[in-house]
Amino acid sequence: MIEPTVALYGDAFNRAAAILEDLIDQAQVRYALLVDRKGFVLAHREALWAPRPPALDSIATLVAGNAAATQALANLLGEPKFNELVKQGEKQGLYVEDVNDLTLLVMIFDTDTPIGRVKLFGKKAAGELDEITRGAVVMPRELGIDKEFHESADAMLDDLFGN
Amino acid sequence: MSTINFANREINFKIVYYGPGLSGKTTNLRWVYQTVPEERKGEMVSLATEDERTLFFDFLPVDLGEVKGFKTRFHLYTVPGQVFYNASRKLILRGVDGIVFVADSASNRLRANAESMRNLRENLAEYGLSLEHIPMVLQINKRDLPDALPVDMIRAVIDPEGKFPIFEAVATKGKGVFEPLKDVSRRVLSKLAEHT
Ligand SMILES: Nc1nc2c(ncn2[C@@H]2O[C@H](COP(=O)(O)OP(=O)(O)O)[C@@H](O)[C@H]2O)c(=O)[nH]1
Ligand SMILES: [Mg+2]
Repeated sequence: MIEPTVALYGDAFNRAAAILEDLIDQAQVRYALLVDRKGFVLAHREALWAPRPPALDSIATLVAGNAAATQALANLLGEPKFNELVKQGEKQGLYVEDVNDLTLLVMIFDTDTPIGRVKLFGKKAAGELDEITRGAVVMPRELGIDKEFHESADAMLDDLFGN
Repeated sequence: MSTINFANREINFKIVYYGPGLSGKTTNLRWVYQTVPEERKGEMVSLATEDERTLFFDFLPVDLGEVKGFKTRFHLYTVPGQVFYNASRKLILRGVDGIVFVADSASNRLRANAESMRNLRENLAEYGLSLEHIPMVLQINKRDLPDALPVDMIRAVIDPEGKFPIFEAVATKGKGVFEPLKDVSRRVLSKLAEHT
């Protein structure tokens, strides 16, 4: 409970969402997600033509795990970091760009979309998201979790996890 | 640290099941997955080897519901317990809000329990964290084993000062699975409320 966290809301959230929206149009990708390195989704947008995405929670968790493992590998080899990560399948690809030390940008695209285009616009968007996410870092005590929140949540825990 | 998303009005907490290899961490998560109603859980993701040993982590999101207008969600993770997977174990601890330490009651696992607890402290320290900051509860699992050691003996090596809440369990039967999870969740919430 002592680490700072990214809390995107209000204007910052709208700006981030608009960047993802533009990214989808410009890069012609299916889905764009801003996730934090702990594996949570901060914001996401989908192309209108895209089918319903798979579980975003799972994507965020696996991408964050993968990024953490990649970073650990870089450290082992004495590299400060490895840039970008592309996974290409037969029909879809996945591209991850480091935004900063707190967040990652994930793009999922069809393989007929040129990868150069995905990378170009991905890097541009990551640059813009960097500033926004840095500005949205708060300390836990600023999150507004008060006694009332705690008490209602408490009652619900009995319901979910049994008495 | 929990992640908050005001736009979607979501608060997320990360709970990690820690402990030596084969103590029953994955079994706990499977039980939760099987028991929680469909609409309250996401998909369970397991990164395991062919023989079902956890390689990187298991992951299960569960929804508590709406609290004061915020969709509140717990992300449950297990770590791989085997000693040589420490690099992965450390990564999973990033951003942890609460820990369920799953100890094994088998008589030949006493040392493994102790080593895992020491390893947990060391890994937390690398993030600048300690068990002073992160709520933790102990689950003493496999109480059904014929050679199960007395709880006090296990506690003496993982929590000699008796600081942490302790729960006995038979995870394969779902006994003592929800109690520690609920307790650590409560502690996570009250810890966060304390700061406001
Ligand atoms: N007897 C007994 N076996 C258990 C219990 N909980 C788990 N196991 C078994 O212990 C083995 C390892 O469990 P697993 O959950 O994979 O351990 P992990 O390495 O901590 O994830 C499996 O064969 C489980 O069926 C328990 O309460 N009693
Ligand atoms: Mg396991």
